[in-house]
Amino acid sequence: MKTIFKIFANKMFGVRYERLAKAIFIDLIVFWGLYSSGFRIQIRPFILYLMVSTFTAGVMRQTLSAEAHADDMMNLLMLPFERKAFIFGYVSGLGVYTVLVRTGMLLAAVYAIASWSSLEIICSGLCACNAVLMTAAVYAWRKRQGAGTIWAGAFTASIFLLQDTRIFSAVTVGNALAAAVFLSGADAYSFYRKEGRRKQVRRVSRRHSVWRYLFRYLASHKNYLANTAVMWGAACVLPVMFGQMESRAALPVGFAVLSINTPVCILLSCDPALEQAVRLLPGQKKAFCIPYCLFVFLCNTIADVIYLMSWELQAGDVTAAAVWMGAFFSFQSAVMSVLLEWFFPLRGWKTQSDLWHHPRKYAVPVLMMLEAGIAGRFLG
Amino acid sequence: MGDSLLQIKNLRAWYQPDRAVLTDLSIKLREHEAVGLIGLNGAGKTTLLKTLSGIHEGFLADGVWMQGSPVKFRDRDFKKFRYTVFAEDHSFPYFTFREYLSYVFSAYGRKAQDAGPFIQGFHFEEYVDALMKDLSTGNRKKVFLITAFALKPELLLLDEPADGLDFQSTEYLYRQIAGYKEYGTVLFSSHILESITLTSDRVMVLEDGQIGKIFEDGSINAENIREALRYENDI
Repeated sequence: MKTIFKIFANKMFGVRYERLAKAIFIDLIVFWGLYSSGFRIQIRPFILYLMVSTFTAGVMRQTLSAEAHADDMMNLLMLPFERKAFIFGYVSGLGVYTVLVRTGMLLAAVYAIASWSSLEIICSGLCACNAVLMTAAVYAWRKRQGAGTIWAGAFTASIFLLQDTRIFSAVTVGNALAAAVFLSGADAYSFYRKEGRRKQVRRVSRRHSVWRYLFRYLASHKNYLANTAVMWGAACVLPVMFGQMESRAALPVGFAVLSINTPVCILLSCDPALEQAVRLLPGQKKAFCIPYCLFVFLCNTIADVIYLMSWELQAGDVTAAAVWMGAFFSFQSAVMSVLLEWFFPLRGWKTQSDLWHHPRKYAVPVLMMLEAGIAGRFLG
Repeated sequence: MGDSLLQIKNLRAWYQPDRAVLTDLSIKLREHEAVGLIGLNGAGKTTLLKTLSGIHEGFLADGVWMQGSPVKFRDRDFKKFRYTVFAEDHSFPYFTFREYLSYVFSAYGRKAQDAGPFIQGFHFEEYVDALMKDLSTGNRKKVFLITAFALKPELLLLDEPADGLDFQSTEYLYRQIAGYKEYGTVLFSSHILESITLTSDRVMVLEDGQIGKIFEDGSINAENIREALRYENDI
């Protein structure tokens, strides 16, 4: 178990665990920065538990599904191994990475901006560990997807229903132990992400189209589609939240928030082979970057249109200027995202989760947010 | 074989600045020739081809000349002058072969040519409309090789072109490399002696980051090259 753990821990953290030290350093900076800003909000404990559990489960799922592990897994599974040691070594390697590097950042932020008792802090840590084990168990037993969904639903319900942190902590520990039992009975090969069956879909077009390429790319990744759908869902809900502010100054803030469509904005970083090919061929600034920019613009614009329609239903004061502002924000964010991808692609990442949560992701939205603040002053 | 097509003087390339992979490598490619590049693992064959392709960033050279004029590897004109087939390439997974071919011809500003003879030669007819992500390693390699031979750039760079190909396709590939002189120059790396001896006008042995030995015409045979590799690497 120790050997397997070390293999994957080294892969995720670096040979000398240098990425771990870097992550802890960033967590401390985030904590210190937010804490010293004096910004404080009230968060109810069950919201904290829900946040930590769902976030950790999401990142763990992404990490388990990462194609980057396939080669290591293939070789390790070829060697004689002890099943339980393999499973727990592998899950703990990826789990430690998920909790310390990814969830650690979230915890640093929420611990800094709200007051928590030591029991609540311990319970949030338990939630993170439980989410790791439970996600791994559901992933390993994914042939019984229905049971996994019911289990996840039941645990989520317990977060809302059990208001007492002590009782909830006990339930979380019990749940984590159950997950460990399921894991101990799982098949180690279930963690090996085999190449999908190559069902060759025929396409009859003779001419190329970068647009068609990008639509196929988006349609082939369920999680990218889900992310885009979530952005569009957020576009419906944001006006309801902003409505409480009773000010049109909030309108551009929504445009800024809706520019965070990570997977669409990191196409070249996600696919180093594509980046290499695009740099190899002549004339790609025009041939590739312009259609790519228009594609991101389209995705942003759809979110903004939904947002404006929802705003019109809530407040009914969408003007032509607001529509132009939405288009301007969409266009700017698309141009900046593509420029970042062209000049500063992200390289050397370990899992897709690194990309999705890379600080660069926030560069464009932060700039948009600043612009939204300036625009809001004029509107307000 | 004619004038100088590409000349590079004292090329130094590295992944870590203190550990150069190529050191003061000078190379001269003539027009209309097939040049084989051979060397042991880690000799720098792929690094050289990636540098020529403008993909590798860590390098310095005293000078690079294309047909006598100074040039940079990332210049648009130089890009249009060459095309590279990498040993492994997973790019454009959501294009079909036909779409990729059309995209590349458009990027080079050329009218699409009939790739039919190459498609037949590589036995690729069945896969022309399949998405590239659904192709096997060998078939994906064929996509890039067919594109390269159909495009006919003045300088064709091939990194381990025979890797992953079946027997028939390998034979066909050798014929294409040997016959490429009609259209331009091909520089290709290989571990397979046969691929070099059957096709090359010149063979360059890459060792210690430099071109150690060059064989031409009659001296190109497996025994000489094997001996050079043994000698250069103290085996």
